[in-house]
Amino acid sequence: MAATIIPSLRSSLERLKHAGSINGILLGWRRQLMINLLPFEDFRAERALHALLDASGHFSSGGDRAVQTFWFGFEGVFALALFHGETTLLILHTQAAEVDFLRTAASTFLDDTQLLVNAVLNPQDSGHEDTQPLSPEKVILTKLGAA
Amino acid sequence: METPSLPLQLFTLRDGLVVSSAGQHLVDAYAADFQGLKHFGAKFGESLELGSPWTGTLQEADMTLNFAYFEAGTSPLDAGAGAMVGEQRPFFELLNRINELES
Repeated sequence: MAATIIPSLRSSLERLKHAGSINGILLGWRRQLMINLLPFEDFRAERALHALLDASGHFSSGGDRAVQTFWFGFEGVFALALFHGETTLLILHTQAAEVDFLRTAASTFLDDTQLLVNAVLNPQDSGHEDTQPLSPEKVILTKLGAA
Repeated sequence: METPSLPLQLFTLRDGLVVSSAGQHLVDAYAADFQGLKHFGAKFGESLELGSPWTGTLQEADMTLNFAYFEAGTSPLDAGAGAMVGEQRPFFELLNRINELES
């Protein structure tokens, strides 16, 4: 699946990466890395993704809660994580004041991403489409306004 | 009739305690979420070698909760503050709001 959708996702993600003071982005689907543009190796990025999913799972374990966003501040860097369906987006950025702008941009990105993921997971069954054969006969066109 | 959303409630963190005039029920709820948020923030920080978070925020469809430490320390005994509100709020605004509690 990832091989099918990654080219367009990577393109969108690269554009988002140039917003604000972003210095790294990760896109995950379920517990898998889809795209790792963080300044960390994949095994670290995967651990980070799992920590975020575990955190989300902790708060939703009662069944009546669903975390949409986490934002953590560390020495010199902030981490913004958004969840949308089975997709997780993690953004590392350096300016705290940009967090709400980044959250809005990332949320829009995730909406689009979800459409792509759904399209790949639930492809249209082309075997049951209605069809209409084209007539081999010469089509008679009537000019508008002709008597 | 719709239940009114929870108004902004402020909490202080000092000497290992969560303190607020919001009522015991809300203090208990905030303390549970604060500890969970801090714990998983530290797990996340550990994965990227970033250390422990000095601030954390979580947002749900109808709730925003955060915490921040005032100084460099992030141990249970260090001073800080937090907020909980029954709606989605801008993160930076909420962080500034609890930072005002330091003074």
